[in-house]
Amino acid sequence: MTPVETDGTGTSVTHQRLQVADLSKTFGPARVLRGVHLSIAPGELHGLVGQNGCGKSTLVKILTGVYTPDPGGSIAVDGRLLRTPVQPAEQRSAGVSVVHQNLGLVDDYTIWENVRLGRYHARGPFRKIDRRAERDAAAQVLGRLGRDIDVGQLAGALSAEDRATVAIARAVQSHRPGGGLIIFDESTRALGQAARSRFFEIVRSLITAGASVLLISHQLEEIVEVTDRVSVLRDGEVVETGLTTRDVDEAALTRLMLGRHLVTHGRVDSHAKDEVAASIRSLSAGQVRGLDLDVRRGEIVGLTGLMGSGFEDVAEVAGGARRAGAGQLTVGGRRIDLGGRRASTEGFVQAGVGYVPERRLAEGLAAEMTVAENLTLPRIRSRGRRLAAGRAWQAEETAAMIAKLDIRPPSPSAPVGTLSGGNQQKVVLGKWLAGRPDLLVLREPTQAVDVGARHDIIVAIRDAARDGCGVLIASIDAADLAVLCDRVLVFRDGQVIAELAGDLDQDAIIHATFGVTPPGHQVPQEREAG
Amino acid sequence: MTARQEDSIAPEVPVTPPSRPGLGYQARHAGSRYAVLGVWALLIVIYTIAKPGVFLTRSSFESIFNGQYALVFMAMALLCTIIVGEFVDLSVPSVFGFAATILPVLVVNHHWGIWPAAIVAIIGALACGVINGLLVVVAGVNTIVVTLGMGTLLTGVALWMSSLNTVVLPVGRFSKIAIFPVGGLYVSFFYGVLLALAFAYVLAFTPLGRHMRFVGASREVSRLSGVRVNRIRFGSFMAASALSGIGAVVTVAALGSYNATTSDSYLLPVFASVFLGTAVIQPGRFNPIGTWIGIYFLTTGITGLEELGLQTWVSDVFYGGVLVVAVTIATLLRRRTV
Repeated sequence: MTPVETDGTGTSVTHQRLQVADLSKTFGPARVLRGVHLSIAPGELHGLVGQNGCGKSTLVKILTGVYTPDPGGSIAVDGRLLRTPVQPAEQRSAGVSVVHQNLGLVDDYTIWENVRLGRYHARGPFRKIDRRAERDAAAQVLGRLGRDIDVGQLAGALSAEDRATVAIARAVQSHRPGGGLIIFDESTRALGQAARSRFFEIVRSLITAGASVLLISHQLEEIVEVTDRVSVLRDGEVVETGLTTRDVDEAALTRLMLGRHLVTHGRVDSHAKDEVAASIRSLSAGQVRGLDLDVRRGEIVGLTGLMGSGFEDVAEVAGGARRAGAGQLTVGGRRIDLGGRRASTEGFVQAGVGYVPERRLAEGLAAEMTVAENLTLPRIRSRGRRLAAGRAWQAEETAAMIAKLDIRPPSPSAPVGTLSGGNQQKVVLGKWLAGRPDLLVLREPTQAVDVGARHDIIVAIRDAARDGCGVLIASIDAADLAVLCDRVLVFRDGQVIAELAGDLDQDAIIHATFGVTPPGHQVPQEREAG
Repeated sequence: MTARQEDSIAPEVPVTPPSRPGLGYQARHAGSRYAVLGVWALLIVIYTIAKPGVFLTRSSFESIFNGQYALVFMAMALLCTIIVGEFVDLSVPSVFGFAATILPVLVVNHHWGIWPAAIVAIIGALACGVINGLLVVVAGVNTIVVTLGMGTLLTGVALWMSSLNTVVLPVGRFSKIAIFPVGGLYVSFFYGVLLALAFAYVLAFTPLGRHMRFVGASREVSRLSGVRVNRIRFGSFMAASALSGIGAVVTVAALGSYNATTSDSYLLPVFASVFLGTAVIQPGRFNPIGTWIGIYFLTTGITGLEELGLQTWVSDVFYGGVLVVAVTIATLLRRRTV
């Protein structure tokens, strides 16, 4: 491992493969990156973590020339300053390459076509692609990675492991020996355990040869296990940079990602009553098999786990966003077949289910429609008459939700797309709270919202529970779950591996999620799956 | 952390009305809503000065307002599917032409009664809507491909039915449903007015209209809010074809004949009017009143240019030019509102 030379602030002075200084990016009124500093040494595997919306993707897009940073910042590779916006040719000659989340392979094309995409050499009077040379070049770079694959195969026919190898081959083919920086932007997300091991074997071999790697991942376990140092982004700022990974654990990283200010909400007494608000029976969805779950009136139940562990499936299916393999949901005396085909969530809405999705602008709100139109959409038919939707109830409902959630600006006629992220999230929540649901299902309800909006959202969820609504929150945010939930179900590989209840604290949730027990903590109550 | 009480219930603050926008903003807003009306008035003034005693006459007025019934029905039909996000139904003029051919062919060639023939023409148009809906909504085929194919197919069938001829209806009272005079204009002009007003009402004030606009804005958001998205989309294709069919019956009643070769000539005016409509009343949004104004704005422009002595090619130049300008304006306005 190459030693990292720093000036004590995490910013190195010399011998850095990548040196980012004072990088900012502003979109309209929103400053999404603020004075970011980052340095990566030659031969270093550097992790970058942060919540969704913290600015990781923006940083990658600046490094790859998609976005132009605000004036004043600098990006240097091997001591050479890059012009901004970063030009593709300069990026390539500097040896900076990216492997994206979905690996960026075109399934209908062969391996050599995928590897050489954007680099084809043409020759002859008709500028024909020199297939033989291209195939050889692709085979050669795959050989360097220790993988002997037939480059004439279609990418779509490859195993996950080989797909990852091909994506890496494409990224490193122009690197000079012992140089280059590869950015893996959530690239391991789609890989299984075996493919991931192979993936990191290749990554380590590249590092041994002198390349540097920036690994962006939500899998904190992976970051702690494989990286040398880690930097943490929160709300567009680097809150820690160049932290030596052996000195931290997942819990510490999570706290840095979320910020200590987010855990200052105290717990309040449970509003849970004996009466069941909603019950799920024999649910099979994704990895989850045969899950039974009762949510009592006034009870707030958290669902958590590693990404892909199945907790998200339960929420999506209970909210009606997609079909389950099998299962029933009973709410308000109505039984809904969760495995049945349906054209919309109409049956869920009528039964009294509200669903706050994770992607608010893709699934929760129509940006061009107004605050009032978005807030009243689920009830426009049931509360309106066929020939007149009715203005009074819409105005009343909208005013009540704007006041309750402190939506700003408090203008019912403002297009939702003009509101800030936090206020948009409040509109999505208000859209369902206004209908006084029996079951409220939320996915990452405070994701990428500011502190004030988070406060308003937490208070509104508690109020809904106090009014008798059963609440299901699917989230990876242990801080949210700790302050809001009466109990938390922790999922792994589709199974509930732990159920935590009583006085919850976020460390206990995090450790149950990652499967380790912190010293001084009680072992969470284990329970049988299902 | 905010300074607010930790676990206070929702703040009981009154909803403060949004601050009143400044005069400059209001002027710009009014400017974008009514700019086309201003240009329309300016055109009338210019033509009146350029051709005194020719343009601002009763006959010009009647030719502008009496002759656009077909365009109004077809533009409203296109709006039905555009509002729900189907971009774009190219078959509208062909469905119209198909129905407009069925009616005289059944009466003249097959000796049907005029009313049964009219009903069959509308049913024929509806059947086209069902096929479009099945292919686009149920089978998920691209709208442009389906409607381009259906449009070409229907124009071909109409030409075959009419043997490439103009089929002329016997003179009778049937024409009264279109050209009965009301206040100096044909009754068909008022059909168009009522249709635009009714459509605008549905969109602005009914649950159906709200659902249609949400489906157009985001299918996934609508689906997750309990809106039956595919039913709305399918219904829009049905409504579009029904309007085309009814418009065809009114047109045949007014003209007393129909020539299937003319169907394609409606395509550009229909699109130009609908897109120009996005620059009127509700900037950046497809809307029926704006479309209605767009139709008569375009007709005024062309009528004036023709009276200035320009040849018939001017209509192509005018419609094409307005379509490009209108789409550009609509895109810019849309970008500004979201």
